[in-house]
Amino acid sequence: MLISHLKMGAKVLLRRKFFTFISLFAISLTLLVLLVATAMLDSILAPRAPETRAARTLGIYRLGFEGPHTGHEGPVGYAFLDRYARHLQRVETIALFTEQQGAVSYVAGRKITSYLKRTDGEFWRILDFDFVEGGPFTAADELQANPVAVINQSTRRRFFGAAPALGRPFAIDGQSFRVVGVVRDVPIVRIVPFADVWVPISTAKSSTYKHEALGNFMAILLARSRRDLPAIQAEFRSRLAHAESPDPRLYTRIAGGADTSFEALARLLFASRENDAHAGRLRAALLTAMAMFMLLPTLNLININLSRILDRAAEIGVRKAFGASSWALVGQFLIENLVLTLLGGALGLALAGPVLAALNRSGLVPYAQFGLNLRVFAYGLAIAVFFGLLSGVYPAWKMSRLQPARALSGRSS
Amino acid sequence: MIRHLLKLVWNRKRAGALLMLEIFFSFLVTAVVATLGLFCWRNYRQPLGFSYRDVWQVAVDSKQWRGGEAPAAAARDTMSRLLRELQSLPRVEAAAGTMVVPFSTSDDVMIDDSGHGPVRMDFNVVSLDFDRVMGLHLVAGRWFGKGDEALAWQPVVVNRNLARAAFGGADPIGRRLGVPDPKGQEPERRVIGVVADYRKNGELAGDGNYLFLPQRQPGGGSGHLFASLLLRVRPGTTAAFEEELTGRLQRIAPGWSFAVTTLAEMRASSFRLRLAPLLTGCVIALFLLAMVGLGLTGVMWQNLLQRTRELGLRRAAGASRAALLRQIVTEQLLLTTLSVGLATALVVQLPISRLAGALPGAVMAAGLASAMAVIYALVILCSLYPSVIASRVPPAEALRFE
Amino acid sequence: MIRLQRVKKLYRTERVETTALDNINLSIEEGEFVSIMGPSGCGKSTLLNLIGLLDEPSEGSVEFDGEKVGDYGDRALARLRNQRVGFIFQQFHLVSDLSVADNVEIPLLYRRLSHRERRRLAHAALDRVGLSSRTLHFPSQLSGGQQQRVAIARAIVGRPRVLLADEPTGNLDSQMGEEVMAILEGFNQGDKTTVVMVTHDRRLADRTQRVVRLFDGRQVS
Repeated sequence: MLISHLKMGAKVLLRRKFFTFISLFAISLTLLVLLVATAMLDSILAPRAPETRAARTLGIYRLGFEGPHTGHEGPVGYAFLDRYARHLQRVETIALFTEQQGAVSYVAGRKITSYLKRTDGEFWRILDFDFVEGGPFTAADELQANPVAVINQSTRRRFFGAAPALGRPFAIDGQSFRVVGVVRDVPIVRIVPFADVWVPISTAKSSTYKHEALGNFMAILLARSRRDLPAIQAEFRSRLAHAESPDPRLYTRIAGGADTSFEALARLLFASRENDAHAGRLRAALLTAMAMFMLLPTLNLININLSRILDRAAEIGVRKAFGASSWALVGQFLIENLVLTLLGGALGLALAGPVLAALNRSGLVPYAQFGLNLRVFAYGLAIAVFFGLLSGVYPAWKMSRLQPARALSGRSS
Repeated sequence: MIRHLLKLVWNRKRAGALLMLEIFFSFLVTAVVATLGLFCWRNYRQPLGFSYRDVWQVAVDSKQWRGGEAPAAAARDTMSRLLRELQSLPRVEAAAGTMVVPFSTSDDVMIDDSGHGPVRMDFNVVSLDFDRVMGLHLVAGRWFGKGDEALAWQPVVVNRNLARAAFGGADPIGRRLGVPDPKGQEPERRVIGVVADYRKNGELAGDGNYLFLPQRQPGGGSGHLFASLLLRVRPGTTAAFEEELTGRLQRIAPGWSFAVTTLAEMRASSFRLRLAPLLTGCVIALFLLAMVGLGLTGVMWQNLLQRTRELGLRRAAGASRAALLRQIVTEQLLLTTLSVGLATALVVQLPISRLAGALPGAVMAAGLASAMAVIYALVILCSLYPSVIASRVPPAEALRFE
Repeated sequence: MIRLQRVKKLYRTERVETTALDNINLSIEEGEFVSIMGPSGCGKSTLLNLIGLLDEPSEGSVEFDGEKVGDYGDRALARLRNQRVGFIFQQFHLVSDLSVADNVEIPLLYRRLSHRERRRLAHAALDRVGLSSRTLHFPSQLSGGQQQRVAIARAIVGRPRVLLADEPTGNLDSQMGEEVMAILEGFNQGDKTTVVMVTHDRRLADRTQRVVRLFDGRQVS
């Protein structure tokens, strides 16, 4: 039965080449755009080097400070994290680091602007950077404020050309450092590891940061196991509830939490100054955006499908006259449509590769490494099936209601 | 004829409803993108109100965090010394401190509730020479001067938009700008001058109200230090001067960080940042329209195929090929008019237009008009080929069509 | 009034060439009632289409009112059809999405007439076929005989000089067929309209003034 449906469907598709082309074009382009969007989200959120332990990592990136007259939302000071984020239960280790900041160097009259991030030694244990030269700096370097730096490949090229950089000195933001390691580039969308140059926190120009409750520091926590995450989040929240305000006259309440990467993205986008990061809202927003985007393509496809059905009114009439039930017809059409959508999906997937590669090359997103993988493929498949069903249901229903007699006479309106 | 076709379209409205819905949404998408595009274009042609050529910006990271204590006197002193150092350099024509950097994404906002309704404005705290550095164009009154500290009230300079919003047509000079102060400690503010405009967010941003406050204490406002120092350099100054500049500043404040950029660079990147969503929108809209166009062609083809015998009958009744072609295209245009009219009514009626409150009515109207043009052109384009094919079927054959 | 000389009609498909009509010489005078008879597939409808200027002969010439129409363009032919010819079909060919009155108006749309004038003429035509009370109905609400009467009203609304009817009673039972035939005879006798009717019903053919018989594309009498 299925085989004969598919055969019939294939014949119809081949007979109406123009329609088939339009349907395939519409489907594959729609799925292409959705796939590209999925791949971009995936490259921000999915665990991959250097965030190979993302599944059991939590981040404290931004906290909200609320007062009667004013509010502030952003990264916090070293002292605050040192006091409230360390020694949480079930946490294997914690790393503190600054936001990346633009820093300038002058090399032979040439200006080089790099992103600088100051980190502690633990940072390199939680994150799994891919070293092409040397290795990370250590807790001892941080303790002794050694002027050492890890740089990425692009920075090595800018400062030292093609030559190896290990052990070589360079100046940035008015300070001198010695290269101890070179890592592969990390895209800017991976906000936690991203930088061009990483140096120990203690090499900062002044040590006032150690006493500041507000500042530009963040922390990541590595849990012993994934199952411990909710407990850790709860403990940190309760510590926040009792934390001392950095300025009791201005701020009376501190909100926020240790977030997973998806929650962190939601907190950033909605600038949430609450304990809830609004991950649910982000999920809903993403789904809404997808639905809005799919609305026109779906309508388009429904219209095309309806036309295809009317074209086959006679065939439907014959099938009904010989006893096919409405359900059988609906099934037949849905299967046909699904096959067409999957075909379009495959085309879209084939096109997504080059489009993503072009996006990577365009330099629109620094160090972008958008790509396809099994997970994106699975999402794509799910989207294609959903799309196929969505655009097939109404036409199929309409088709099953065609009166056999009218269908046979070819009149349908 | 139109009446006849209108009846035909109306009586087929059930069959055509989904098609109309598709045109309806295509029109909405096009209208949004067209309106935004026209808005950007209109803004682009307005004067910026300042000149960014040969202006450099030194971002000063004083490692003083907001929200805590007011900046220490020592830090204020350092900031003042930095500014004096810049002013003393022969390559620098003028230098000034600013709290908000031109072309940056950060804003300081206050709302004046003293008049007829709330007036929202961006504000900035600047030092004395800011007008010379930025090349502001004063249209009334005066800029801040040396003797201003002696005044019992605080002088402020507004842009023309703010003057209009706060005082209507009246002469703004000497008027009070009643920005409420939560602590009641700030002195009252009076307007001493009006500049033509100051569009901090660049050419693509819309009109806004802008307010300049003079620096209240050395090196910044009452709460914060200047975030950056702006300097107008002599024309022809090259990037090599940057290193010297940074070196000099670093010697005065070894613990601070400095980053030099030209406003031209900042403008270029802000331009890209503001253009990116529009371009993305355009690409997506074009892609959607291409798809809708192909779909419409297919659907019209099929509809006309269904109507072959009717078209044959019309030919037998004396319609020439050209008359038939005209008729079919007119029919599609009527269908389009129905959807577009509905969508326009919706856009005009619903709070969508209020959401886009910043949009001037003329831009909105032009956006709707160009979206209409695009949709009509699309429909004509899509119906032309199927209509030509359909009108070419020999009538004898069309009447036999099964 | 209508003269066909040595008319031949070929249909070409990719491989086969069929001769639908061969060497037809036919002359129809003003006011005549002619029927065309023959087995199905003998070319009756093709001949009617040639007479009605819906189709062009492969060879030979068609004269209408003494004018050779062979080199007429689409626009000129359309005008001739519009003003001088009225068609009636076996399947009625009413537009299902238009009301009875709107269907009848169709030929008038292609003339320069005001909406009011079109309405008046349509009502008059419907009155003549006895359907003036059904102007607002839709075709699907009418019986077969009534639908064919609407089709006749549409054919005569523009006061054509020739009515061409292709098996007008083919889809009707005998009583309704009789009604339709009576209406056609009324136009022929009362208005002196020329009527050409394709039929395979011998009794109907016998009531006309002249019978043209076709067999396999050739004229046999």
